[in-house]
Amino acid sequence: MNRDESKQILLLYRPGTADAEDPQIIEALALVKQDAELARWLEKHCERQAALRAQFRQIAPPAGLKEQIIFEHAADQRRLSARHKLQFALASLALILGALALVWHPHRTSENTLAIYQNQMARVALSPYGMDLITNRPAPIRAYLAQKQAPADFELPAPLQQTSLTGCAVREWRGARVSLICFRTGKPLPPGVASDLWLFVVDRAVVPNAPLGAAPQLAKVNRLMTASWTKGDKLYFLGTDDGAAALQQYL
Amino acid sequence: MADDVEFESLVDRFYAPLYQFAFSLTRAEADASDLTQQTFTVWATKGHQLRDSSKVKTWLFTTLHREFLVSRRRQTRFPHFELDAAEAELPTIPPAPASGLDAAEVLEALTRLDEVFQAPVALFYLQDYSYNEIAEILAVPLGTVKSRLARGIRQLQHLLGHDLAFEENPPPSHL
Repeated sequence: MNRDESKQILLLYRPGTADAEDPQIIEALALVKQDAELARWLEKHCERQAALRAQFRQIAPPAGLKEQIIFEHAADQRRLSARHKLQFALASLALILGALALVWHPHRTSENTLAIYQNQMARVALSPYGMDLITNRPAPIRAYLAQKQAPADFELPAPLQQTSLTGCAVREWRGARVSLICFRTGKPLPPGVASDLWLFVVDRAVVPNAPLGAAPQLAKVNRLMTASWTKGDKLYFLGTDDGAAALQQYL
Repeated sequence: MADDVEFESLVDRFYAPLYQFAFSLTRAEADASDLTQQTFTVWATKGHQLRDSSKVKTWLFTTLHREFLVSRRRQTRFPHFELDAAEAELPTIPPAPASGLDAAEVLEALTRLDEVFQAPVALFYLQDYSYNEIAEILAVPLGTVKSRLARGIRQLQHLLGHDLAFEENPPPSHL
Protein backbone atom coordinates (compact mmCIF):
# COMPACT_ATOMS: atom_id res chain seq x y z
CA MET A 1 0.00 0.00 0.00
CA ASN A 2 1.49 3.39 -0.97
CA ARG A 3 0.83 6.82 0.47
CA ASP A 4 -1.97 7.77 -1.92
CA GLU A 5 -3.75 4.50 -1.38
CA SER A 6 -3.47 5.04 2.36
CA LYS A 7 -4.93 8.53 2.04
CA GLN A 8 -7.74 7.10 0.00
CA ILE A 9 -8.54 4.60 2.73
CA LEU A 10 -8.02 7.03 5.60
CA LEU A 11 -10.52 9.45 4.13
CA LEU A 12 -13.14 7.31 5.85
CA TYR A 13 -11.28 7.06 9.14
CA ARG A 14 -12.97 8.52 12.20
CA PRO A 15 -10.76 8.33 15.29
CA GLY A 16 -12.45 6.83 18.34
CA THR A 17 -14.97 4.80 16.36
CA ALA A 18 -15.24 1.25 15.10
CA ASP A 19 -13.47 2.38 11.92
CA ALA A 20 -10.16 1.48 13.57
CA GLU A 21 -11.20 -2.19 13.43
CA ASP A 22 -11.44 -2.18 9.66
CA PRO A 23 -8.53 -4.27 8.26
CA GLN A 24 -7.73 -1.78 5.50
CA ILE A 25 -7.66 1.10 7.95
CA ILE A 26 -5.47 -0.89 10.32
CA GLU A 27 -3.04 -1.39 7.47
CA ALA A 28 -3.16 2.28 6.47
CA LEU A 29 -2.65 3.41 10.06
CA ALA A 30 0.39 1.17 10.29
CA LEU A 31 1.84 3.04 7.33
CA VAL A 32 1.10 6.36 9.03
CA LYS A 33 3.48 5.37 11.82
CA GLN A 34 6.27 4.99 9.29
CA ASP A 35 5.51 8.02 7.10
CA ALA A 36 5.81 11.45 8.71
CA GLU A 37 4.21 13.25 5.78
CA LEU A 38 1.26 10.89 5.80
CA ALA A 39 0.96 11.41 9.56
CA ARG A 40 0.78 15.18 9.08
CA TRP A 41 -1.83 14.75 6.37
CA LEU A 42 -3.90 12.51 8.60
CA GLU A 43 -3.68 14.91 11.53
CA LYS A 44 -4.90 17.77 9.36
CA HIS A 45 -7.57 15.63 7.75
CA CYS A 46 -8.89 14.47 11.11
CA GLU A 47 -8.92 18.03 12.39
CA ARG A 48 -11.06 19.16 9.47
CA GLN A 49 -13.27 16.14 9.68
CA ALA A 50 -13.90 16.87 13.36
CA ALA A 51 -14.78 20.45 12.51
CA LEU A 52 -17.13 19.30 9.78
CA ARG A 53 -18.76 16.78 12.09
CA ALA A 54 -19.23 19.45 14.72
CA GLN A 55 -20.91 21.71 12.18
CA PHE A 56 -23.25 18.95 11.02
CA ARG A 57 -24.25 18.33 14.58
CA GLN A 58 -25.17 21.95 15.10
CA ILE A 59 -28.35 21.34 13.16
CA ALA A 60 -30.97 21.82 15.84
CA PRO A 61 -34.56 20.69 15.65
CA PRO A 62 -37.11 23.50 15.72
CA ALA A 63 -38.51 24.34 19.14
CA GLY A 64 -41.58 22.32 19.98
CA LEU A 65 -40.96 19.48 17.52
CA LYS A 66 -40.62 16.89 20.26
CA GLU A 67 -43.80 18.08 21.98
CA GLN A 68 -45.63 18.10 18.65
CA ILE A 69 -44.61 14.50 17.90
CA ILE A 70 -45.77 13.37 21.34
CA PHE A 71 -48.99 15.38 21.09
CA GLU A 72 -49.82 13.98 17.65
CA HIS A 73 -49.12 10.47 18.85
CA ALA A 74 -51.44 10.93 21.83
CA ALA A 75 -54.13 12.36 19.54
CA ASP A 76 -53.73 9.39 17.18
CA GLN A 77 -54.06 7.03 20.13
CA ARG A 78 -57.23 8.78 21.27
CA ARG A 79 -58.70 8.62 17.78
CA LEU A 80 -57.74 4.97 17.55
CA SER A 81 -59.20 4.25 20.95
CA ALA A 82 -62.45 6.02 20.06
CA ARG A 83 -62.61 4.08 16.80
CA HIS A 84 -61.98 0.81 18.62
CA LYS A 85 -64.69 1.63 21.15
CA LEU A 86 -67.12 2.42 18.37
CA GLN A 87 -66.20 -0.76 16.50
CA PHE A 88 -66.60 -2.75 19.70
CA ALA A 89 -69.98 -1.17 20.40
CA LEU A 90 -71.17 -1.86 16.86
CA ALA A 91 -69.89 -5.44 17.00
CA SER A 92 -71.63 -5.97 20.33
CA LEU A 93 -74.86 -4.53 18.99
CA ALA A 94 -74.66 -6.75 15.91
CA LEU A 95 -74.04 -9.76 18.16
CA ILE A 96 -77.04 -8.96 20.34
CA LEU A 97 -79.27 -8.39 17.33
CA GLY A 98 -78.00 -11.60 15.79
CA ALA A 99 -78.71 -13.52 18.97
CA LEU A 100 -82.17 -12.00 19.23
CA ALA A 101 -82.85 -12.87 15.62
CA LEU A 102 -81.75 -16.46 16.22
CA VAL A 103 -83.80 -16.87 19.38
CA TRP A 104 -86.87 -14.97 18.44
CA HIS A 105 -87.27 -14.46 14.73
CA PRO A 106 -87.22 -18.01 13.31
CA HIS A 107 -89.56 -19.28 15.99
CA ARG A 108 -91.95 -16.44 15.40
CA THR A 109 -91.69 -16.85 11.65
CA SER A 110 -92.38 -20.59 11.70
CA GLU A 111 -95.31 -20.28 14.09
CA ASN A 112 -96.82 -17.51 12.05
CA THR A 113 -96.18 -19.32 8.81
CA LEU A 114 -98.28 -22.33 9.79
CA ALA A 115 -100.99 -20.20 11.37
CA ILE A 116 -101.12 -17.89 8.37
CA TYR A 117 -101.30 -20.84 6.00
CA GLN A 118 -104.09 -22.49 8.01
CA ASN A 119 -106.09 -19.26 8.25
CA GLN A 120 -105.79 -18.46 4.60
CA MET A 121 -106.77 -21.98 3.53
CA ALA A 122 -109.73 -21.91 5.93
CA ARG A 123 -110.88 -18.65 4.37
CA VAL A 124 -110.64 -20.24 0.92
CA ALA A 125 -112.85 -23.12 2.07
CA LEU A 126 -115.42 -20.82 3.65
CA SER A 127 -115.55 -18.33 0.80
CA PRO A 128 -117.70 -18.85 -2.28
CA TYR A 129 -114.85 -20.35 -4.28
CA GLY A 130 -115.23 -21.93 -7.67
CA MET A 131 -113.85 -25.42 -8.34
CA ASP A 132 -111.59 -25.72 -11.37
CA LEU A 133 -112.76 -29.24 -12.04
CA ILE A 134 -116.04 -30.78 -10.94
CA THR A 135 -115.88 -34.56 -10.78
CA ASN A 136 -116.37 -37.38 -8.33
CA ARG A 137 -113.58 -39.49 -9.82
CA PRO A 138 -110.10 -39.37 -8.31
CA ALA A 139 -108.14 -40.03 -11.50
CA PRO A 140 -109.21 -36.88 -13.37
CA ILE A 141 -108.54 -34.86 -10.23
CA ARG A 142 -104.97 -36.14 -9.93
CA ALA A 143 -104.43 -35.63 -13.64
CA TYR A 144 -105.70 -32.07 -13.49
CA LEU A 145 -103.59 -31.21 -10.48
CA ALA A 146 -100.52 -32.73 -12.05
CA GLN A 147 -101.14 -30.76 -15.20
CA LYS A 148 -101.30 -27.58 -13.14
CA GLN A 149 -98.06 -28.55 -11.37
CA ALA A 150 -99.86 -28.74 -8.06
CA PRO A 151 -99.35 -31.66 -5.62
CA ALA A 152 -101.07 -34.65 -7.24
CA ASP A 153 -99.38 -37.66 -5.70
CA PHE A 154 -100.91 -37.13 -2.28
CA GLU A 155 -101.94 -40.00 0.00
CA LEU A 156 -105.40 -39.98 1.48
CA PRO A 157 -106.26 -41.54 4.83
CA ALA A 158 -108.36 -44.67 4.30
CA PRO A 159 -111.67 -43.12 5.52
CA LEU A 160 -111.19 -40.19 3.20
CA GLN A 161 -110.66 -42.50 0.26
CA GLN A 162 -114.22 -43.69 0.83
CA THR A 163 -115.67 -40.18 0.92
CA SER A 164 -117.39 -38.72 -2.10
CA LEU A 165 -115.32 -36.36 -4.16
CA THR A 166 -116.85 -33.25 -5.67
CA GLY A 167 -113.92 -31.71 -7.48
CA CYS A 168 -110.69 -29.79 -7.12
CA ALA A 169 -109.01 -26.44 -7.51
CA VAL A 170 -105.50 -25.03 -7.51
CA ARG A 171 -104.52 -22.07 -5.32
CA GLU A 172 -101.22 -20.29 -4.81
CA TRP A 173 -99.63 -19.55 -1.48
CA ARG A 174 -96.35 -17.67 -1.29
CA GLY A 175 -95.41 -18.82 -4.75
CA ALA A 176 -96.24 -22.48 -4.16
CA ARG A 177 -99.11 -24.38 -5.73
CA VAL A 178 -101.71 -25.72 -3.28
CA SER A 179 -104.05 -28.52 -4.28
CA LEU A 180 -107.60 -28.20 -2.95
CA ILE A 181 -109.60 -31.44 -3.05
CA CYS A 182 -113.27 -31.09 -2.18
CA PHE A 183 -115.51 -33.76 -0.58
CA ARG A 184 -119.09 -34.15 0.43
CA THR A 185 -119.79 -35.93 3.73
CA GLY A 186 -123.41 -36.70 2.89
CA LYS A 187 -125.14 -34.45 5.35
CA PRO A 188 -127.72 -32.06 3.93
CA LEU A 189 -126.19 -28.92 2.44
CA PRO A 190 -127.77 -25.56 1.67
CA PRO A 191 -128.68 -24.92 -1.95
CA GLY A 192 -125.69 -24.03 -4.13
CA VAL A 193 -123.18 -25.60 -1.75
CA ALA A 194 -121.44 -28.65 -3.17
CA SER A 195 -118.81 -29.53 -0.55
CA ASP A 196 -118.45 -29.62 3.22
CA LEU A 197 -115.00 -31.21 3.65
CA TRP A 198 -111.84 -29.76 2.20
CA LEU A 199 -108.32 -31.07 1.93
CA PHE A 200 -105.39 -28.78 1.14
CA VAL A 201 -102.08 -30.32 0.07
CA VAL A 202 -98.86 -28.34 -0.30
CA ASP A 203 -95.13 -28.99 -0.33
CA ARG A 204 -94.16 -29.09 3.35
CA ALA A 205 -91.00 -27.08 2.71
CA VAL A 206 -93.19 -24.04 2.09
CA VAL A 207 -94.32 -24.08 5.72
CA PRO A 208 -91.17 -24.24 7.87
CA ASN A 209 -92.87 -25.39 11.08
CA ALA A 210 -95.30 -27.83 9.60
CA PRO A 211 -96.23 -30.64 12.00
CA LEU A 212 -93.44 -33.18 12.17
CA GLY A 213 -95.41 -36.38 12.00
CA ALA A 214 -98.29 -38.17 10.44
CA ALA A 215 -100.40 -37.85 13.61
CA PRO A 216 -103.04 -35.19 12.85
CA GLN A 217 -103.04 -32.11 15.03
CA LEU A 218 -106.55 -30.80 15.56
CA ALA A 219 -107.21 -27.11 15.81
CA LYS A 220 -110.09 -24.73 15.40
CA VAL A 221 -109.27 -22.31 12.60
CA ASN A 222 -111.84 -19.65 11.82
CA ARG A 223 -115.15 -21.53 11.79
CA LEU A 224 -113.57 -24.81 10.74
CA MET A 225 -112.41 -27.75 12.76
CA THR A 226 -109.12 -28.69 11.14
CA ALA A 227 -106.48 -31.38 11.23
CA SER A 228 -102.90 -30.88 10.07
CA TRP A 229 -100.28 -33.54 9.47
CA THR A 230 -97.32 -34.27 7.26
CA LYS A 231 -96.46 -37.32 5.29
CA GLY A 232 -93.56 -37.63 2.91
CA ASP A 233 -92.79 -34.22 1.53
CA LYS A 234 -96.31 -32.90 1.86
CA LEU A 235 -98.35 -30.98 4.38
CA TYR A 236 -102.01 -31.96 4.65
CA PHE A 237 -104.66 -29.65 6.02
CA LEU A 238 -108.19 -31.03 6.32
CA GLY A 239 -111.15 -28.91 7.46
CA THR A 240 -114.88 -29.19 8.02
CA ASP A 241 -117.49 -26.95 9.56
CA ASP A 242 -118.69 -29.86 11.71
CA GLY A 243 -117.12 -30.58 15.04
CA ALA A 244 -113.98 -32.51 15.96
CA ALA A 245 -115.85 -35.82 16.23
CA ALA A 246 -117.10 -35.49 12.66
CA LEU A 247 -113.64 -34.62 11.42
CA GLN A 248 -111.99 -37.56 13.09
CA GLN A 249 -114.17 -39.96 11.10
CA TYR A 250 -112.11 -39.06 8.06
CA LEU A 251 -108.63 -39.42 9.52
CA MET B 1 -49.89 4.48 29.70
CA ALA B 2 -46.69 2.40 29.73
CA ASP B 3 -46.68 2.55 25.95
CA ASP B 4 -47.00 6.32 26.09
CA VAL B 5 -44.05 6.61 28.46
CA GLU B 6 -41.99 4.32 26.24
CA PHE B 7 -42.92 6.33 23.18
CA GLU B 8 -42.01 9.62 24.84
CA SER B 9 -38.69 8.20 25.96
CA LEU B 10 -37.99 7.03 22.42
CA VAL B 11 -38.84 10.43 20.98
CA ASP B 12 -36.68 12.10 23.60
CA ARG B 13 -33.68 9.99 22.65
CA PHE B 14 -33.91 10.02 18.91
CA TYR B 15 -35.90 12.96 17.60
CA ALA B 16 -32.88 15.29 17.41
CA PRO B 17 -30.52 12.97 15.49
CA LEU B 18 -33.40 11.92 13.25
CA TYR B 19 -34.21 15.54 12.55
CA GLN B 20 -30.56 16.24 11.73
CA PHE B 21 -30.55 13.40 9.25
CA ALA B 22 -33.89 14.49 7.81
CA PHE B 23 -32.65 18.06 7.48
CA SER B 24 -29.49 16.92 5.74
CA LEU B 25 -31.67 15.11 3.23
CA THR B 26 -34.40 17.69 2.71
CA ARG B 27 -32.62 20.95 3.59
CA ALA B 28 -35.96 22.39 4.67
CA GLU B 29 -37.10 22.73 8.25
CA ALA B 30 -40.76 21.94 7.56
CA ASP B 31 -39.95 18.90 5.44
CA ALA B 32 -37.44 17.63 7.99
CA SER B 33 -39.97 18.07 10.80
CA ASP B 34 -42.63 16.23 8.80
CA LEU B 35 -40.21 13.44 7.98
CA THR B 36 -39.19 13.07 11.61
CA GLN B 37 -42.79 13.02 12.77
CA GLN B 38 -43.74 10.55 10.05
CA THR B 39 -40.92 8.26 11.19
CA PHE B 40 -42.36 8.14 14.70
CA THR B 41 -45.85 7.61 13.32
CA VAL B 42 -44.58 4.57 11.44
CA TRP B 43 -42.88 3.42 14.62
CA ALA B 44 -46.16 3.73 16.54
CA THR B 45 -47.91 1.44 14.08
CA LYS B 46 -45.14 -0.98 13.10
CA GLY B 47 -42.47 -0.66 15.76
CA HIS B 48 -43.83 -3.61 17.70
CA GLN B 49 -42.69 -5.85 14.82
CA LEU B 50 -39.06 -5.14 15.68
CA ARG B 51 -37.82 -8.01 17.83
CA ASP B 52 -34.26 -6.87 18.51
CA SER B 53 -34.47 -3.81 20.76
CA SER B 54 -30.82 -2.96 20.09
CA LYS B 55 -31.82 -2.19 16.50
CA VAL B 56 -34.29 0.56 17.34
CA LYS B 57 -32.03 3.40 16.27
CA THR B 58 -31.08 1.72 13.00
CA TRP B 59 -34.76 0.90 12.41
CA LEU B 60 -35.71 4.54 12.86
CA PHE B 61 -33.03 5.84 10.53
CA THR B 62 -33.88 3.20 7.94
CA THR B 63 -37.54 4.16 8.16
CA LEU B 64 -36.77 7.84 7.85
CA HIS B 65 -34.65 7.26 4.78
CA ARG B 66 -37.33 5.07 3.24
CA GLU B 67 -39.98 7.70 3.93
CA PHE B 68 -37.71 10.31 2.38
CA LEU B 69 -37.38 8.23 -0.78
CA VAL B 70 -41.14 7.78 -0.92
CA SER B 71 -41.77 11.49 -0.53
CA ARG B 72 -39.12 12.28 -3.11
CA ARG B 73 -40.74 9.91 -5.60
CA ARG B 74 -44.01 11.70 -4.93
CA GLN B 75 -42.31 15.03 -5.53
CA THR B 76 -40.84 13.70 -8.75
CA ARG B 77 -44.34 12.96 -9.91
CA PHE B 78 -45.63 16.34 -8.69
CA PRO B 79 -42.49 18.50 -8.74
CA HIS B 80 -42.13 21.88 -7.08
CA PHE B 81 -40.32 24.08 -9.51
CA GLU B 82 -39.77 27.06 -7.23
CA LEU B 83 -36.68 25.64 -5.54
CA ASP B 84 -35.17 24.37 -8.75
CA ALA B 85 -35.65 27.73 -10.34
CA ALA B 86 -33.96 29.46 -7.43
CA GLU B 87 -31.08 27.02 -7.28
CA ALA B 88 -29.19 28.66 -10.09
CA GLU B 89 -29.23 31.92 -8.19
CA LEU B 90 -27.79 30.50 -4.99
CA PRO B 91 -24.39 31.97 -4.10
CA THR B 92 -21.29 29.88 -4.51
CA ILE B 93 -19.66 29.02 -1.21
CA PRO B 94 -16.30 30.68 -0.94
CA PRO B 95 -13.42 28.58 0.30
CA ALA B 96 -12.98 28.85 4.04
CA PRO B 97 -10.98 27.09 6.69
CA ALA B 98 -12.94 24.31 8.38
CA SER B 99 -12.92 26.02 11.72
CA GLY B 100 -14.49 29.10 10.17
CA LEU B 101 -17.46 27.24 8.69
CA ASP B 102 -20.91 27.36 10.13
CA ALA B 103 -23.59 24.72 9.91
CA ALA B 104 -25.41 26.51 7.12
CA GLU B 105 -22.35 26.48 4.92
CA VAL B 106 -21.70 22.84 5.59
CA LEU B 107 -25.28 21.98 4.79
CA GLU B 108 -25.17 24.10 1.71
CA ALA B 109 -22.16 22.12 0.59
CA LEU B 110 -24.03 18.91 1.35
CA THR B 111 -26.86 20.01 -0.93
CA ARG B 112 -24.37 20.35 -3.73
CA LEU B 113 -23.13 16.83 -3.38
CA ASP B 114 -24.31 14.34 -5.94
CA GLU B 115 -27.59 13.04 -4.56
CA VAL B 116 -26.32 9.51 -4.22
CA PHE B 117 -23.63 10.68 -1.75
CA GLN B 118 -25.83 12.83 0.47
CA ALA B 119 -27.40 10.20 2.73
CA PRO B 120 -24.22 8.20 3.41
CA VAL B 121 -22.17 11.34 4.04
CA ALA B 122 -24.83 12.70 6.40
CA LEU B 123 -24.94 9.45 8.35
CA PHE B 124 -21.14 9.35 8.39
CA TYR B 125 -20.79 12.75 10.00
CA LEU B 126 -23.94 12.90 12.07
CA GLN B 127 -24.12 9.62 13.88
CA ASP B 128 -20.75 7.95 13.71
CA TYR B 129 -22.52 4.96 12.27
CA SER B 130 -20.28 2.12 11.22
CA TYR B 131 -20.03 1.34 7.52
CA ASN B 132 -22.09 -1.78 8.08
CA GLU B 133 -24.85 0.16 9.79
CA ILE B 134 -24.91 2.76 7.03
CA ALA B 135 -25.16 -0.06 4.51
CA GLU B 136 -28.08 -1.51 6.46
CA ILE B 137 -29.91 1.80 6.74
CA LEU B 138 -29.50 2.63 3.08
CA ALA B 139 -30.02 -0.96 1.97
CA VAL B 140 -26.90 -1.02 -0.21
CA PRO B 141 -23.84 -3.33 -0.09
CA LEU B 142 -20.94 -2.46 2.20
CA GLY B 143 -18.55 -1.91 -0.72
CA THR B 144 -20.97 0.54 -2.28
CA VAL B 145 -21.21 2.45 0.98
CA LYS B 146 -17.43 2.76 1.27
CA SER B 147 -17.13 3.84 -2.33
CA ARG B 148 -19.88 6.43 -2.00
CA LEU B 149 -18.45 7.73 1.25
CA ALA B 150 -14.99 8.15 -0.18
CA ARG B 151 -16.27 9.98 -3.22
CA GLY B 152 -18.79 11.98 -1.25
CA ILE B 153 -16.24 13.15 1.33
CA ARG B 154 -13.83 14.12 -1.38
CA GLN B 155 -16.52 16.04 -3.19
CA LEU B 156 -17.58 17.75 0.03
CA GLN B 157 -14.01 18.80 0.81
CA HIS B 158 -13.65 20.15 -2.66
CA LEU B 159 -16.84 22.16 -2.32
CA LEU B 160 -15.67 23.56 0.99
CA GLY B 161 -12.36 24.55 -0.46
CA HIS B 162 -10.09 22.37 1.60
CA ASP B 163 -9.38 19.59 -0.76
CA LEU B 164 -6.19 18.43 0.81
CA ALA B 165 -6.45 14.75 0.26
CA PHE B 166 -4.92 14.59 -3.18
CA GLU B 167 -3.33 17.92 -3.77
CA GLU B 168 -0.39 16.39 -5.43
CA ASN B 169 -1.80 13.24 -7.00
CA PRO B 170 -5.51 13.10 -7.90
CA PRO B 171 -7.18 9.83 -6.85
CA PRO B 172 -8.09 7.16 -9.35
CA SER B 173 -11.54 7.78 -10.73
CA HIS B 174 -12.82 4.23 -10.51
CA LEU B 175 -13.86 4.51 -6.85
